[in-house]
Amino acid sequence: MNDVLARRTLEEPASEQAIEDLHGILDQLWNDAAFVPALDQMAFATAVIEAASNVVQHGVPAEGATLLLGVELTVSAERLRAVISEIGAEAMDPVPDLDPPPAEVFPEDGTLPHEDESGRGLFMIRALVTTVTVEREGDTNIWVLSRDSGGA
Amino acid sequence: MEFSTEDKGSYTEVSATGRLNMVAAPRLREIVGDVVSAGGKRIVVNLAGTSFMDSSGLGALIGCLKLARQSGGDLRIAAAQPQVTMVLELTSMHRVLTPHRTPEEAFAGE
Repeated sequence: MNDVLARRTLEEPASEQAIEDLHGILDQLWNDAAFVPALDQMAFATAVIEAASNVVQHGVPAEGATLLLGVELTVSAERLRAVISEIGAEAMDPVPDLDPPPAEVFPEDGTLPHEDESGRGLFMIRALVTTVTVEREGDTNIWVLSRDSGGA
Repeated sequence: MEFSTEDKGSYTEVSATGRLNMVAAPRLREIVGDVVSAGGKRIVVNLAGTSFMDSSGLGALIGCLKLARQSGGDLRIAAAQPQVTMVLELTSMHRVLTPHRTPEEAFAGE
């Protein structure tokens, strides 16, 4: 059963406002797909925001282009899927490490972990969804996140 | 996200209401920085109204914890909601930033 039961999209300049708007369409998606268990909603939304924030913070616009964030969220009976596009962007260099090491464990010597969140964000995405891929198509970098959900 | 700070006598409470994401994270650093600059040693971040936290928000909390400790103080968190707890546990950061049930309990008995 891969019929799409709920769908929301967004496309706008990659900015802080786009992240706030994305939170808004995630809320709307769950209104339309209330059958999705709370844990799946929470995990998927967190991964989607991490990937979109990565676009806003690290995306590099191609010469003469305005960097856009495109998002398509779909819910089917057993799967949550997000296509997150970095439109009008230079190719990612380096390509994000989608199999990062486990989050650092609190060191025994009492020092605190690094504040750097980009590695931690990628680790979270990987841990919160079932599959994640990043591809290049034309002038667009495309993240595809999917999470199996036992909702319906 | 809305922030407010309140002097509770034995500690300063910083309440964060809304989403602690890449937009709000720098503001949390500023606010906690101001508390530390003003001599605040014990800080409790009340997360009762924080519906969402991402890695930027988590990075800001860790940065604030470092800042507080560097000045001889400490920072603790309280009333974490389910999504925040999920992020803390997923990243093992609950070992560094252990959520207390209420702000009052964060420094109780010290």
